[in-house]
Amino acid sequence: MKKSNQLSRREFLAAAGAAVSVPYLIPSGVLATPGRGGANERLTMAHIGVGGMGGHHLRDMKRFVKAGIVNIAAVCDADENRLAGAVKTAGPGVQPYRDYRYVLERKDIDAVVIATPDHWHAVQMVHAAECGKHVYVEKPACCTIEEGKAMVAAAKKNKVSVQVGSQGRSQPEAYLAHRYLVNGNIGHIDKVTCFHYNSPEDSNPVPNSDPPPELDWDLWLGPLRWRPYNKKYCHGVFRWVLESGGGQIRDRGAHVMSCAVWWMGADGTGPVTVEATGTAPKKGLWDSAVTMDVTYTFKNPDWVLTWNQHTGNAVPAEERTGKEPGGKISRPGYGAVYHGSQGKFVHWGGDGGTWVEKKAREWKPPAGAKDVYKSPGHKEDWFKGIKTGAKTIMNIEASVGVANLCVLGNLSYILGRKLKWDQQKQEIIGDVQARRMMGHPQRHPYHL
Amino acid sequence: MSIKSLKKAPLAPATAGLMAGIAGAAQNKDVDELIAKIKDNSDKVRTAAWLGAGNVGAPAVKPLAKVMTDNDLEVARAAKRALWKIVRHAGRPRARNEKKAVTAELVPLLGDDQPAPVRREVLWMLSEIGDAKSIKPIAALLANKQLREDARMVLQRVPNKRAIGALKAGLKAAPKDFKLNIAQSLRQRGVKVRGLPCVKLVPTKKTNVKPLE
Repeated sequence: MKKSNQLSRREFLAAAGAAVSVPYLIPSGVLATPGRGGANERLTMAHIGVGGMGGHHLRDMKRFVKAGIVNIAAVCDADENRLAGAVKTAGPGVQPYRDYRYVLERKDIDAVVIATPDHWHAVQMVHAAECGKHVYVEKPACCTIEEGKAMVAAAKKNKVSVQVGSQGRSQPEAYLAHRYLVNGNIGHIDKVTCFHYNSPEDSNPVPNSDPPPELDWDLWLGPLRWRPYNKKYCHGVFRWVLESGGGQIRDRGAHVMSCAVWWMGADGTGPVTVEATGTAPKKGLWDSAVTMDVTYTFKNPDWVLTWNQHTGNAVPAEERTGKEPGGKISRPGYGAVYHGSQGKFVHWGGDGGTWVEKKAREWKPPAGAKDVYKSPGHKEDWFKGIKTGAKTIMNIEASVGVANLCVLGNLSYILGRKLKWDQQKQEIIGDVQARRMMGHPQRHPYHL
Repeated sequence: MSIKSLKKAPLAPATAGLMAGIAGAAQNKDVDELIAKIKDNSDKVRTAAWLGAGNVGAPAVKPLAKVMTDNDLEVARAAKRALWKIVRHAGRPRARNEKKAVTAELVPLLGDDQPAPVRREVLWMLSEIGDAKSIKPIAALLANKQLREDARMVLQRVPNKRAIGALKAGLKAAPKDFKLNIAQSLRQRGVKVRGLPCVKLVPTKKTNVKPLE
């Protein structure tokens, strides 16, 4: 979308003949100034989506406020109760908004943290980039292939730093595992098998109803096609609806497969085929696969990545004292096994953390061993990207690549057939219906 | 003797008619069985039924659409999912005739005699497998206030030049409050639209939450 084709709020009001005076009339979209903020200047931050993970980000950001690295200027949510809670957390002087576009209009805001449901990620990230804001956006980056393309293009065109919330890459043990694997300690790896427990089924479906008064249902739905409110779509459970949450694979897959792709040196690559099977929920509106098996075949170099979602298939977590670099494993029910020519290696990935086997934690690199990038912390890595222009550890290209794995897995499951993928062109080959499903038209005006 | 070899064999008209009758009866039996299972009290039976609906195909489209408005929400949902299974199965590569047959059954379900939730769902099904012949009936819904936004998005998705033509015609006829929506679809399809700029960055919704002093 060309900026010249877009209407600012000021132009819109003028065109409509509205003679009202409101704050923040200058659209920041025309004021994109990349790389703003010198090394010693505080970044001015806004949080869009402040429930669930968004609430965690807001609380976490306060340590950077205390450290003199950022200011929090605004919080935003479509749920007034959550917004009121965020105002209290953020403290005096922080402006609340329901509509994120007010946030993007403010030229004093340098960067935004987006932690809305998945179906908003691409639209809000692209809009923020178009308005010159640096972006931290929750994972998975995108819900469709076309959204991913738009995100990569917007970040590149507007020269903004984007970090996607697959924070597992920035964990201390992720560095240790990466270093251990690239130094050939288990030989040549030709297979990575991810394990995860089932997606839940809805044991108590409820009929549609009026939305609660605190929720702007139209805004919550945003780009999705309209439907009546049902609480089983919304807070805390949107994950189990394919359109908005994409199931376990798009949630935890974006963590576990993120590490796999990173450690295999496969950022920027993609599979040639994707084949998924699964079992469907027996009732309720949740439609993500309960159990699921996906096989991704990569070529040049040849390796196979699988996603196996079955309760009870987890590799038992190793005993820990809590004094390890990553501490205790918070939720050991998912992770991945790396199959090498000289052994196996296990990664546990609970709640976005990264915990790895003792042999990698205790490995002492010999002279001449390869070293790998060590993230200073996921947000710290983002701040570094903002201030120096350095590529973030979970940059938008890499995270769209991982999100595409999740998206393609779900597409293959939905369609019940194997898909062929052209990584270079970023498109599905030889399947007209699947190609149409690479994108999903979005509701006006909540579109890319 | 397989059906394929039966088709090749020279048959007397009466025999051919008999065979067609047998095939039709078998088809009806499949549809009846599917509908009965979709209406079953057991969620396991319903789930197995909708998961296997793809092979039943076009003949089941209209009967399933009727069940989509069943008073039992889970029965209605199973019917909807069965219909989607048929659409996804018919859309597979090298199944042109099946896709055509399913599309032909879906299009009449866009008519005024159908409930809005059914028409909305059918629109999206056509967004995945609809062909040039589906464009006109979809475009007709641009004039329906309840369904026009879905129809607009569906036309945006169907990769047929006629869809662009329908959107252009829709833009001319659209009331003022809907022109921006259609303009957006046209831009997505690579058409330059003058005088109707994109308003995606224009905020409209204000909060009642106050900042802390």
